[in-house]
Amino acid sequence: MSAACCQSHNTTPVEVRDLRVAFDGQPVLRGVTFSIPHGQLVALIGPNGCGKTTLLRCLLGLQKPTSGEIKLFGQSNLKLALPRIGYVPQRLALDRSFVLSVREFLALRLRRTRNWFWQSRATTDRLLHETLADIGVEGLLDRPLARLSGGQLQRVLIAFSLLTRPELLLLDEPTAGVDTPGEESFYGLIANVQRKHHLTVVLVSHDLSMVYKHASHVYALNGVICCEGTPEHVLNAESLKQAYGIHVSPYEHHHPHAH
Amino acid sequence: MFPRMSTIIPMLTEPFVQRALLAALFLGPVCALLGVFVIARRMAFFSDTVSHSALAGVALGFWWGFAEPTIPMVGFTLVVAVAMMWLMEKTDLLTDTILALLLSGSVALGVIILSLLHGRNYQGELNRYLFGDILAVGWEDVGLAGSLLVVVGVGVFLNLSSLTLLAAQEEMAHVCGVPVRRLNYLFVIVLTLTVALSIRLLGIILVTSLIVIPPAAARSLSRNLRQQIILSIVFGLLAGAGGTLLACELDLPCGPTIVMTCVGFFLLSLGIGKLRQEKTARAGVA
Repeated sequence: MSAACCQSHNTTPVEVRDLRVAFDGQPVLRGVTFSIPHGQLVALIGPNGCGKTTLLRCLLGLQKPTSGEIKLFGQSNLKLALPRIGYVPQRLALDRSFVLSVREFLALRLRRTRNWFWQSRATTDRLLHETLADIGVEGLLDRPLARLSGGQLQRVLIAFSLLTRPELLLLDEPTAGVDTPGEESFYGLIANVQRKHHLTVVLVSHDLSMVYKHASHVYALNGVICCEGTPEHVLNAESLKQAYGIHVSPYEHHHPHAH
Repeated sequence: MFPRMSTIIPMLTEPFVQRALLAALFLGPVCALLGVFVIARRMAFFSDTVSHSALAGVALGFWWGFAEPTIPMVGFTLVVAVAMMWLMEKTDLLTDTILALLLSGSVALGVIILSLLHGRNYQGELNRYLFGDILAVGWEDVGLAGSLLVVVGVGVFLNLSSLTLLAAQEEMAHVCGVPVRRLNYLFVIVLTLTVALSIRLLGIILVTSLIVIPPAAARSLSRNLRQQIILSIVFGLLAGAGGTLLACELDLPCGPTIVMTCVGFFLLSLGIGKLRQEKTARAGVA
């Protein structure tokens, strides 16, 4: 971990320069430029269709840009950067008829547990144990993945993404379908994990209050980066109007705390 | 009603029964193993479309002068499967629309060619392929089924984690280093070959049931994927072999008898699963 940390301090985790993406001639991203230094919890906000998910897909190498450049840890070949990335999707495409247990799902992530079918449960648990204790999913190991509540599933997805000790964590609207108390504890968990493991986190989110509370830096996106800065700077009426195109009430910040 | 040992043993000396039984013993587990991932990825209609497209392959084979149209059948189903994948990737058409288009188009093409070749008597030929024909299973079909069992068994277990990740979430699979596109095409090609080679025994209409029903039956009794895979294979094996023996003993059509054996396993496991659930719920309340 420490070697990886030193390495990551020397290279910027995310650098995006003049990124453009169009679908059927319709531009979705129109020249996005930003960079994210190590150890930040960055939120990407914006209205539906503003290109948040497209941008995330570009970072993962799933969407080919029309033009522009992306570098992850100084690497233009994004495939080579994938081992240093953790990804938490909105949801899984699992059908309820697929009885994949949480233990089996987590075992898919590590090379040493990839033979889960032939391994005993005790062996798999021992190999997974270290990360699981952090996230609090040990009680869920025997449960089928498709039957977890939204909040439980998100915890499992976080545990899954942290198993390989990534340096960059990308989250795509991770609390869609999670109730408010669940959301609160989820964002708390992300913030804790980010501090503990010195991670760089990029979070696509609709939830402005959670962004205000936990993010260290915010990018408001609407085809281009409309504004960026600290949550206090970005989450005000004028900036939000720029990003969302309509009047959005800014988050009222009642409790002073440091970011 | 059910076959007795005294009647099974002489029956097993018949070469056509031996061929059908071996084919069923090989194809049952292959279909059931792939089926776990087919139902997880909601691809049952995909498999149905592939099997129906075989009719056009068979008809084209007869038209081109093949006495045994296995090669054109397999070839045509592979073309249809790759066309399906390509249309899904490259067009905005809904998956259901693409599948319905190719399914009905292939069946219509097959029936027209068969009617042109056989005049009004094409129904007999059609029925053999629609519902399967135990007498049509040759030693070469048995050899192909055996090879398929080895290739699919080894292939699936070597790529079990990647296939499971693919079923769970494609983007996540990509981040974990799974070659998503390549594995998707490979899975579809293997599934298509399995469907095409199972048609002799089960028939175009019924082949999907041997893929879908064993894992669905296994689901009610499983607490994890390992159990579901093992039980699904066992159900596939028992339904294939048991159904074939029942069909021979009772002089019933083989494909439908195998399918009804699968349905029997499904109902049985559903009942046991429900009883087990109620017992757990009662224990929880107490």
